[in-house]
Amino acid sequence: MNENIVLTEAVFYTLLALHAPLHGYGIMQETEKMSNGRLKLSAGTLYGVLSTMLEKGWIKALPGEEESRRKDYQITEQGKTIVRGEMARLEELVSNGQKIIK
Amino acid sequence: MKKTIFRLYYVWQWEQEEQWLNDMSQKGWQLAHATIGKYNFVSGESNEYTYRLELLDKKLKSEESTSYLHFLKETGIEMVGKCKSWIYLRSKTTEGGFEPNNKTLYNLTHLLKVQELTNKIRNILITMIAMAICTLLILESFGSSHVTEFLRGFCTGLSFSASIFSVIMIPFTKKSNEKIKKTIKELYTCE
Repeated sequence: MNENIVLTEAVFYTLLALHAPLHGYGIMQETEKMSNGRLKLSAGTLYGVLSTMLEKGWIKALPGEEESRRKDYQITEQGKTIVRGEMARLEELVSNGQKIIK
Repeated sequence: MKKTIFRLYYVWQWEQEEQWLNDMSQKGWQLAHATIGKYNFVSGESNEYTYRLELLDKKLKSEESTSYLHFLKETGIEMVGKCKSWIYLRSKTTEGGFEPNNKTLYNLTHLLKVQELTNKIRNILITMIAMAICTLLILESFGSSHVTEFLRGFCTGLSFSASIFSVIMIPFTKKSNEKIKKTIKELYTCE
């Protein structure tokens, strides 16, 4: 696996929001809440993000109720590894920044 | 109140078309239905909806597109019109959730899709011209009759009009290519 993956904000927050099963609209609300209203995911962006992550196996789709057709998603172990890797990268950025520019 | 407007926008003019629909919304005219060149408006509140045009990757009836549209519906975005794989979407202006998170990337994706479409059209035109010329050459070896004369006329007309159309397309393709290059540059500086 590529060790140097840089996640976009949309991907990062979506992975965080999916620590518990959640559907598309829920992810949008959760992301907005976590970022204090700064990051508003558009439906188009989120749809792209979800399909890419499903393909990569970072998240999984949970079997939904037949009637509603609404799909819930959840993070996988692989997805969690990706988030940890990104957190380490961000920490490196912040600590270097703080060392040099105060 | 209702009104119907007939207007023709070409594939590469999607920004103008989108802008026009949003201007109409501001004037209180909400798009209720759209097909090729025909727009039905219903009077409503000013700016009640925001409109967006999208080009689907797959055919409208495909499973991917259905699941995409269903996903959009869940987030309050509805489809009000279609024309092949072009779709007209709208969302309540107050609800948002429409503005792409990376507008530059969104524009680039859209430009590339439009380019793919124009390339396809160009290839069809070239094939048509080639086939017409081949037929003309084959006809040379046949004598003159009503049928061959008709075919000659038809093929000449076809290759002539297809050539004119291809020439007309050149500046648009050029403009679209320049736009793609500019957008990629922009993407690099903001990434």
